[in-house]
Amino acid sequence: MPELAVSTRGLRKTYRTRRGRKVVAVQGLDLDVPVGGVHGFLGPNGSGKTTSIRMLLGLIRADAGTMTVFDQEVPRHLPDVVGRVGAIVESPKFFPAFTGRRNLELLADAIGVPRKRVGEVLDETSLGERGKDRFKSYSLGMKQRLAIAATLLKEPDLLIFDEPTNGLDPAGIREIRETMRGLGEQGRTVLVSSHILAEVEQVADTVSIIGHGRLLASGTVAEVIGNSTAATVKVAVDNHESATRILTAAGLTVRADGNYLLVDGAEYSADVTRRLAQHELYVSELIPVRADLESVFLELTADEGLGGTR
Amino acid sequence: MIRLTGVELRRLVSRRLVVIGVAALLLITGIMLVATWQNAKPLSAAEQRNAQVNFEQAQKDWQEHGEEYKKQCLQDYQSQPDPKPKLEDFCQVNPPTLDQFGKPMAKFTELMPDLLLGSSYLLAFGAFLIGASFVGAEFSSGSISNWLTFEPRRLRVYGSKLIAAATGMLPVAVVLLAILLAGVYLIVGALGTTAGTTGKVWGDLSGTAGRAVLMAAAAGALGGVLALLLRHTAAAVGVAMGYLVLVEGVFGGFLTKAQPWLVRLNFDAWIKHDTTYLVDNCRSTADGGYLCTQIEKTLSFEHGAWYLGIVVVVLIALGAGVFQRRDIS
Repeated sequence: MPELAVSTRGLRKTYRTRRGRKVVAVQGLDLDVPVGGVHGFLGPNGSGKTTSIRMLLGLIRADAGTMTVFDQEVPRHLPDVVGRVGAIVESPKFFPAFTGRRNLELLADAIGVPRKRVGEVLDETSLGERGKDRFKSYSLGMKQRLAIAATLLKEPDLLIFDEPTNGLDPAGIREIRETMRGLGEQGRTVLVSSHILAEVEQVADTVSIIGHGRLLASGTVAEVIGNSTAATVKVAVDNHESATRILTAAGLTVRADGNYLLVDGAEYSADVTRRLAQHELYVSELIPVRADLESVFLELTADEGLGGTR
Repeated sequence: MIRLTGVELRRLVSRRLVVIGVAALLLITGIMLVATWQNAKPLSAAEQRNAQVNFEQAQKDWQEHGEEYKKQCLQDYQSQPDPKPKLEDFCQVNPPTLDQFGKPMAKFTELMPDLLLGSSYLLAFGAFLIGASFVGAEFSSGSISNWLTFEPRRLRVYGSKLIAAATGMLPVAVVLLAILLAGVYLIVGALGTTAGTTGKVWGDLSGTAGRAVLMAAAAGALGGVLALLLRHTAAAVGVAMGYLVLVEGVFGGFLTKAQPWLVRLNFDAWIKHDTTYLVDNCRSTADGGYLCTQIEKTLSFEHGAWYLGIVVVVLIALGAGVFQRRDIS
């Protein structure tokens, strides 16, 4: 039994723009996705997430590097493992004039899955009633559910969802989140790429953060957050101006946040109160702010000059 | 591969555009039959009277000027550049006959080959459109990327699509040509004559129809290849139409000697089992003028078969190479 569902080493892809300029989409990506559970694949827009996924699925060719899916080298051995992989890349793409059921029947026939499985996956994704309607009449949420139904036809061990909640309403986002969580709990591996951190943090067991096509951080959500240098405290003090000057002089980063100051970079919360008290400024409230995936993500991507802010 | 081809065939017949296209081909075949009926219909009494009057006028003209016309033609023949055409071909100056002014009786053996040729153009064009839209729709909707996540072996995917686009047209072409053959035979049998329709004639007509069916299948596949290369149905149709108008039409019209290397003439040679074309033969004359005549040449069936075969194979191989290496976004 392989320990990794997906592994890439030194993965690289460059594109040429219409004007002939070379653009590096992925540069030496090392990615490991453990078997089982939900793995968040995070990065700002244009960081190479979709390109990496497309390379894994054999849709585009890598310039360099190696990839494996369940220990099988891809794309060479992709046909051997494709039956274990279900994927939705960007927006769901089906034949618009065919019904949802007809689209799935064609896919089922192509891979030799019995037609009755189509009804089952439509029911599993709450599309049983709308299966007879044309795909082009579906809402975005229904299209996304049909795409999930298509991936489930194969009963895959690895599901790859690329930005699955793009354009969905809050109810749709919640539904997709629960579906991903449910699949992860069934023992399947779910690789979900997203730039919406809160969404991933709620369902992911492990994450990889990429920027400029390179891996920036990887591990369990707790590990990635724990490794962060971002320790923030929220301070209530009477004189904001003086307090900001004192703390900034001590090398800390201070931001106003309503009636509070947000102070980054203090090793211990007590450092903040001690420094202010030395100048006869007394703290009335001191609230440690828990680091979250978003702050880690912003910190990492800001370090890389990827448009994140701190 | 067989399973994939079966799926593609089911998708092909499920497409609304295919149903509309086949219905349009059926309608045009029906129009051809109506036109044949109109053509074979005998003249009315008024039309016959009119024809008789015209014939008598022409006869009178021939009696007065017939010898003069013959002399003039012989003079023209002498000034023709070498190689000269046959005299009897060049000077067909004969007295008028009544059937030239009336309506000749429709003969099945004369009508049918031309109708089959026209129908083969129609079928090839329809098949090309259907094949192009069948494959082009996958690229414009983006569903090809979804399809490849289920079957990543691209050559199999490519092959199944082309085989479906080609074989899907076979029954359509067979049925339409059978309707045309049977319909024309019945119409002409009732209003004209089917005399002389021997076993050999039926054999020749079947051969022509069979080649038209094969051409329709090839056109369906080529429509698919072009749509795949250009990633859009409209682009494929536009390029094909542009080629036909600019290269085959304009260029072919100017450079008559290049005709053997154009698709249209090879298509004719393939369908008709040999065809003829005219080449300009021009020379300077002693008085400083420039005299052109046209010489008829024959393009063989074998030439047409090789030419079309090579075009089909090269384009299919090109499509396979591009699809195998192309990034699907």
